[in-house]
Amino acid sequence: MRRQLRSRRAPASPYGYRYRLDDQDEVNQNYLADEEEEAEEEARVMVVPDLEEEEEEEEEEEEEEEEEIEEEEKEEEKGQGRPTGNAWWQKWQIVNEYLWDPEKRMSLARTGQSWSLILVIYFFFYASLAAVITLCMYTLFLTISPYMPPFTERVKPPGVMIRPFAHSLNFNFNVSEPDTWQHYVISLNGFLQGYNDSLQEEMNVDCPPGQYFIQDGDEDEDKKACQFKRSFLKNCSGLEDPTFGYSTGQPCILLKMNRIVGFRPELGDPVKVSCKVQRGDENDIRSINYYPESASFDLRYYPYYGKLTHVNYTSPLVAMHFTDVVKNQAVPVQCQLKGKGIINDVINDRFVGRVIFTLNIET
Amino acid sequence: MGKKTLEIYSVELSGTKDVEQTDKEDGKERYRGLKNCFHSKKDHHTEKLKKELDLDDHKLSIKELEKKYGTNIITGLSSTQAAELLAQNGPNALTPPKETPEIIKFLKQMVGGFSILLWIGAILCWIAYGIQYSMNKSSSLDDVYLGCVLALVVILTGIFAYYQEAKSTNIMSTFNKMIPQQAFVIRDSEKKTIPAEQLVVGDIVEIKGGDRVPADIRLLSAQGCKVDNSSLTGESEPQARSSEFTHDSLLETKNIAFYSTTCLEGTATGMVINTGDRTIIGQIASLASGVGNEKTPIAIEIEHFVHIVAGVAVSIGILFFIIAVSLKYQVLDAIIFLIGIIVANVPEGLLATVTVTLSLTAKRMAKKNCLVKNLEAVETLGSTSIICSDKTGTLTQNRMTVAHLWFDNQIFIADTSEDHSNQVFDQSSGTWASLSKIITLCNRAEFKPGQESVPIMKRIVVGDASETALLKFSEVILGDVMEIRKRNHKVAEIPFNSTNKFQLSIHKTDDPNDKRFLMVMKGAPERILEKCSTIMVNGQEQPLDKSTAEAFHTAYMELGGLGERVLGFCHLYLPADEFPETYTFDVDAINFPTSNLCFVGLLSMIDPPRSTVPDAVTKCRSAGIKVIMVTGDHPITAKAIAKSVGIISANSETVEDIAKRLHIAVEQVNKRDAKAAVVTGAELKDMSPEQLDELLTNYSEIVFARTSPQQKLIIVEGCQRQNAVVAVTGDGVNDSPALKKADIGIAMGIAGSDAAKNAADMVLLDDNFASIVTGVEEGRLIFDNLKKTIAYTLTKNIAELCPFLIYIIVGLPLPIGTITILFIDLGTDIIPSIALAYEKAESDIMNRKPRHKKKDRLVNEQLAIYSYLHIGLIQAVGGFVVYFTVYAQEGFKPNILINLRVEWEDSNVNDLEDSYGQQWTWYQRKYLEWTGYTAFFVGIMVQQIADLIIRKTRRNSIFQQGLFRNKVIWVGIASQIIIALILSYGLGSITALNFTMLRPQYWFVAVPYAILIWVYDEVRKLFIRLYPGSWWEKNMYY
Repeated sequence: MRRQLRSRRAPASPYGYRYRLDDQDEVNQNYLADEEEEAEEEARVMVVPDLEEEEEEEEEEEEEEEEEIEEEEKEEEKGQGRPTGNAWWQKWQIVNEYLWDPEKRMSLARTGQSWSLILVIYFFFYASLAAVITLCMYTLFLTISPYMPPFTERVKPPGVMIRPFAHSLNFNFNVSEPDTWQHYVISLNGFLQGYNDSLQEEMNVDCPPGQYFIQDGDEDEDKKACQFKRSFLKNCSGLEDPTFGYSTGQPCILLKMNRIVGFRPELGDPVKVSCKVQRGDENDIRSINYYPESASFDLRYYPYYGKLTHVNYTSPLVAMHFTDVVKNQAVPVQCQLKGKGIINDVINDRFVGRVIFTLNIET
Repeated sequence: MGKKTLEIYSVELSGTKDVEQTDKEDGKERYRGLKNCFHSKKDHHTEKLKKELDLDDHKLSIKELEKKYGTNIITGLSSTQAAELLAQNGPNALTPPKETPEIIKFLKQMVGGFSILLWIGAILCWIAYGIQYSMNKSSSLDDVYLGCVLALVVILTGIFAYYQEAKSTNIMSTFNKMIPQQAFVIRDSEKKTIPAEQLVVGDIVEIKGGDRVPADIRLLSAQGCKVDNSSLTGESEPQARSSEFTHDSLLETKNIAFYSTTCLEGTATGMVINTGDRTIIGQIASLASGVGNEKTPIAIEIEHFVHIVAGVAVSIGILFFIIAVSLKYQVLDAIIFLIGIIVANVPEGLLATVTVTLSLTAKRMAKKNCLVKNLEAVETLGSTSIICSDKTGTLTQNRMTVAHLWFDNQIFIADTSEDHSNQVFDQSSGTWASLSKIITLCNRAEFKPGQESVPIMKRIVVGDASETALLKFSEVILGDVMEIRKRNHKVAEIPFNSTNKFQLSIHKTDDPNDKRFLMVMKGAPERILEKCSTIMVNGQEQPLDKSTAEAFHTAYMELGGLGERVLGFCHLYLPADEFPETYTFDVDAINFPTSNLCFVGLLSMIDPPRSTVPDAVTKCRSAGIKVIMVTGDHPITAKAIAKSVGIISANSETVEDIAKRLHIAVEQVNKRDAKAAVVTGAELKDMSPEQLDELLTNYSEIVFARTSPQQKLIIVEGCQRQNAVVAVTGDGVNDSPALKKADIGIAMGIAGSDAAKNAADMVLLDDNFASIVTGVEEGRLIFDNLKKTIAYTLTKNIAELCPFLIYIIVGLPLPIGTITILFIDLGTDIIPSIALAYEKAESDIMNRKPRHKKKDRLVNEQLAIYSYLHIGLIQAVGGFVVYFTVYAQEGFKPNILINLRVEWEDSNVNDLEDSYGQQWTWYQRKYLEWTGYTAFFVGIMVQQIADLIIRKTRRNSIFQQGLFRNKVIWVGIASQIIIALILSYGLGSITALNFTMLRPQYWFVAVPYAILIWVYDEVRKLFIRLYPGSWWEKNMYY
């Protein structure tokens, strides 16, 4: 009797009937489980079922996927081979109705009211989560000084980098073909713009060499920077030879040490640079000229006080002028920093305290 | 009406000794289902089976048989003939059910579940490397390693799952070992003993009491041969076998003995007419393998869960692949992102955890006598909503026991508990003295010798069930029965037979002054009463008048109404003058009186319910499980047992009961008034499936009586149509289709046949119904706990996924690496998620209804949403806070990190500036990145501790549940911390693992978030408890 009642009010679509069947199953289940409900259930069937109740039932329907699975299961259970096209169409209908059910004005099995409630709750939940993360980050920044990082162990010992740098550490060029080395020249020129004597004289102070340029005072005070003039690089300054020696097969390569806040070479010994052939015949490089001639980074450029207060800080450079290198073959060169407290033999990091590049100068 | 019932009783009673009558009555019906089963098979198969069934060997004369099988009943087959036939027809053994080859099982584990996703990940890794390699010969091997690690993960978890499966199947293989059977055969005119496997059609075999019938045989001669066809029909009544052709049907004729049935007594010679799979049992067994094994509910649930997670993984992966491509990332990078997203999304360790959890429960259940063959069946019991239980052996003790006595016009109750410890009825009456003497003497059952130390109830007895009951009963009360029998020497005896329906023996008395012989008799009560003219009351003989006869009938009816088997007892002292000591009694000529005896009393016996069963049934009922009794017994017995164990509750009535109470016809009763129904097999036969559905729906207490095991299948299918998860118990061979068809088939460990055990998912080692209930409890608990485990495992997936998404969109240095994720999924999280399996139930799980197969899913929307979008997001936030803290304290503040990805990862950039203007080499950054991985890892780990604690309960507060009740949780937490410490400080120097030594303070950054998770969840649970049924509960309770 119940079945008849149910099916009579079932919508025309076969899928709708399917749902009723599910309900039926549920009723049966309850029936089996709890005979107390029997009377109640019966009463419900007798009374014309109101839409409210049905909506609730529908609301409990589950996700899309699940429905599909259920659908499949049903299919198997019934074992009635329907044409596949039809089944797909039915599935599509189910999905469609799940996305937007015009009859009950529901989308994704929720009514507008339910959706707005959900959205409001999630809005508040995520807003408070955002507030918490903001608060945390704020307190984090309160504890961190903007002038001095709390830890510098990871960035020590200093790394080394060379210029010109064109995303490769292989210098391959043909002296007679300017196109092959022109970009090195442009790169070096660009890099040295900040070292122009006029600019340095204007911005920075000429501080005494051979000693640390220590500037006491408050952390937040602006710090002065020492001059490092382009002209210090002599033959590699690009002032006399605008091709930095590339046109003659005697390339200049600039070496700079990575900046580290508060780093001071130990015991007043400036860090020196020395280059040699990394592997192979040592005589492949017969001479290197270093500029400045000391081949070292003067102590006056240390310590570095950080980006915020040490705005005009100019990294000191050492230029290597490879005046006599074997031509027409690749020569691996290793330039190392030497000095107390300098590490230049980390296996994993080939840029700490040293840099390795190859020169392949063709004539 | 009364008269009619009486007749039924007498049939039932006579059934004790002779099966002929019952056989005629319901034999047809009993095999009907069997034939039905055959007919329901597919076309050509049916044809074949039909042909087999149409065998007319039972109708043929011996000469015709000899001709047909080319044999000779005197000389048997010749060895060469036999060898030929053996080669032609194969050995006489059942083909074991087709086993899936081990390699297939293994491969299934390799590609099942998430494995396929991980394989895709691994293959994508290799493809990515291939692309990289083609562009740059010196590209790093990282992707290859990752691919290998992923493949390794799949293979290892696959091997693990396979090993677990194999271990649980191994338990079963001990059952499968059958003792090689021997057959006594005549070949080459010689009597030989050969293995039963080598029997061929046409062999002449001899069987004797105690043997298993080695093949289907046509009996040629038989002496008092009785067989127990219970493995075929489920009826344990012994059935007589002779060489006469008695019935057209092969199944019902007396001159055929079936393979695997047992010969109880007597001897017989027969010709083998069918061997191996062509025997009736073989056909049924192959039928069982034809019934598809239903997928277990938990397998469906896990599949559903895998679908959800895989769906999420794939859709997010593809979505972000598209986003990455449209953000101008290289396709190669996009592929690597895809791998990361897949790895982050897939809970690699979960399926292994589930397997371990299930096997832990299986072990726990095995201790409680539920041996689980199929790991997944562990949970099935928990979702069971209908149990179709056998009566004999499962609900009852499977032994006849004296339940009531009637003498001196009074009914006395005997103790039927398992040990018979206290018999409290009045034993002072003189009638009892006489009655006890009859019980002791008129009994052919004997204890097997050498059992003096064994408790009486456990001793093995040679004899049939009723006599055994009487023997044990008298042994308990009177002491050494054998000694009493010795003192009262037996001089003559008429054993029971179906025509006279009584058993008689004549003894010398142990009173040396009394030279009279004592004749004792027992049998069907009305027959005994007919032979009596006096009745003993209080030790005095009185004439049997109408009123005493009336009293007898009332008592008889009452005891019969209890479903008990009633026996009447009488005796007569033969006058010494007529029968001197030297008198020779002739039992054939019956030269002594067998009438005008003195009626002494009635004794009724029943197979009493196990003492634990009523409690178990009550538990089932409160757990919302409907218990249906399915038995081959008489409806009245079935109903009586059902009532005494509570399957039919004390205050519910059947339609017949109501009719009787209101004195109206059965048809007039409103069927809705009756809660209980007793349905016989004959009624069931005439029911349409719709009527059966209606029956199953409308009655909450149902007993099926006089059903054939084949009808069990019909009942199971009916229940499954109600969308119920059905558990079925069974022991006979032809229970096996029903056992297979059921969602969970439960075979009896003691009484069960091998075929039943093979078909079942679970074996009850003690055959006790109460064990099923503990199984249900464990099953429900494991379902709840799996929910917790999955919720716990899913949570961190978001915390693992978010870094990737943010990395793609915002371009931060990668917060957590793929390998690190694997270390969480397969390292720190494994033991805690197993620990949740040890969690105690939150409330009385036996007080709620079984879960609805389609609505109460293992992973539902609420669980996924709460894990992913609530706790998961908090965890992600917590992880990011640790990550940002590490980077900021090293010099990279969050603002500079944005869109830093490309430069950060460029190994040629060795002077990347941080927020302070410091310059970093590539390796220095990489090391910082790994520190970030470790920090994020630790952040997730710390929050997973909180997650683990909150997952202990779903509704109750943690403090209600007890923080320390589940000690394993704390082992889990300790393992998490220790593994993390080892990874960070122990293996921190191995670069391939991407762990670094973390500064101690970073371990505590995520702690506030862990506390937040705990508080948030407590609030959620509080609202759920405060407002049950509210919007909050609907959306937040998983």
